[in-house]
Amino acid sequence: MDSVEAHVDATAAVLGLRIPAESRPAVLRYFALAAAMAEPVMAMPLTPADESGSVFIPVEPAGQP
Amino acid sequence: MRAAADIASAVRGGSLSARAAVQASLDRINATEPAVNAFTALLAERALKRADQVDADPRRGQLWLAGVPFAVKNLFDVAGLPTLAGSAIEATRAPAARDAVLVRRLEAAGAVLVGALNMDEYAYGFTTENTHHGATHNPHDPARISGGSSGGSAAAVAAGQVPLTLGSDTNGSIRVPASLCGVFGLKPTFGRLPRTGSYPFVAALDHLGPFTRSVADLALAYDVMQGPDAHDPACAQRPPEPTSAQLGVGSAGLRIGVLGGWFREMAMPEALAAVDAVAEALGTTRLIEWPEVARARAAAFLITAAEGATLHLPDLQTRPQDFDPMTRERFLANALIPAAWVAQSQRVRHWFARQVARSFETVDVLIAPATPCVAPPIGTEWLHVAGQRLPARPSMGLLTQPISCIGLPVATVPLWGLCPDAPHLPIGVQIIAAPWREDLVLRVAAALEAQGVCSAPLAQPAST
Repeated sequence: MDSVEAHVDATAAVLGLRIPAESRPAVLRYFALAAAMAEPVMAMPLTPADESGSVFIPVEPAGQP
Repeated sequence: MRAAADIASAVRGGSLSARAAVQASLDRINATEPAVNAFTALLAERALKRADQVDADPRRGQLWLAGVPFAVKNLFDVAGLPTLAGSAIEATRAPAARDAVLVRRLEAAGAVLVGALNMDEYAYGFTTENTHHGATHNPHDPARISGGSSGGSAAAVAAGQVPLTLGSDTNGSIRVPASLCGVFGLKPTFGRLPRTGSYPFVAALDHLGPFTRSVADLALAYDVMQGPDAHDPACAQRPPEPTSAQLGVGSAGLRIGVLGGWFREMAMPEALAAVDAVAEALGTTRLIEWPEVARARAAAFLITAAEGATLHLPDLQTRPQDFDPMTRERFLANALIPAAWVAQSQRVRHWFARQVARSFETVDVLIAPATPCVAPPIGTEWLHVAGQRLPARPSMGLLTQPISCIGLPVATVPLWGLCPDAPHLPIGVQIIAAPWREDLVLRVAAALEAQGVCSAPLAQPAST
């Protein structure tokens, strides 16, 4: 069993996700596609200064001035 | 079907009733739907009632969209209908209590909603080959895809069923169908238009925007829809910045460049010819290359995959059989993506946005193809691009995905006759600017339209 299959089976079990037998080949193929996309993303040389920049906006209660 | 601005002008002036404008739209829809399949719900009773209200409105003479029929992708809430988002699963949910904010804003300006439009399930696709509701056919060639995921929105405008539709764009879902159906589309800056009352796909990337057959209509609809809304946390607290009055200013004085690298490598000859025609018309030979476009596209792919799948995890756990076979296995696979891939993708996305911002210090507008090729036949599995055999469906977004990844505003303009094997088909060019400069992309689009470089002629699908 390769690492993609091992990951798919283990993570699906953790998430309570039942992969129908007829779906398994396609799920493995699509996960491998995501893994191929992740390869250059994870290899991108970034520094701690390159934080995500995602901003959480605190939510005020209604009726505040 | 007349342009939205023409209909509104006639209704405001009293030479046309809103009821007659809406009835003409309903008639055209009924005649052409068997060939196009753009609609999943037709709201004739509601629309005629609303048209009568517009006709009786003493403020009719001041309504910018008086009597203009429009339709929306079926991920927008429409009061009384379940918000399908292209699925069968959502059909069993409670109907929406009220219309989406953008629907309300268009109707407040006098427009009249006539129906809801087909899309890829949960917006996860570029083809609108929807198994539950059938494929939407390209009005210029019914054997071909309309593009997606807002395929119904683009096809309905191309077929003259309505002069205005709304769609959504997470990775290209306005720009791809606009390109393939030969209509104008606007994907505004991320955070410009509120998404309140629309079914999300990927909150970190979702944009909403209009489709029309003229740039003036695009600007008109966009201007009416602007303004913040507190219920969409991603919506910027910016006042409206109207664009319509500036459309005639032209492109003179703007610094315009052509995007190179990825944006030329992943394009077929007809897409390159379209960009070259636009560049020539705009008088530019300047080539601009962004760094790490492939990584940015991969980052958008992973953020989309993980966030989109997480949204549907409860249904994936309990009723995977009810998903469209076109999306099911992709959602299942994507639910398993490691967190590190997504967190790193967000960092790559922000790095890329900062690099691209630098390019806009020396240029005002950039152009790139919207799709690698013209519309492929329905069912196409593979594309050959840049010497590679690529899966056709995700590849339709190769050229749009890196741009929506960083939320830039884009107008898509259609060109014709550039594919020798299919001269009847259009292909779109993206007109791109820095964040919040929708005014520039619309100005350049209007200049190209005035020169006759781009246009959105009415398709003539088979009528009954």
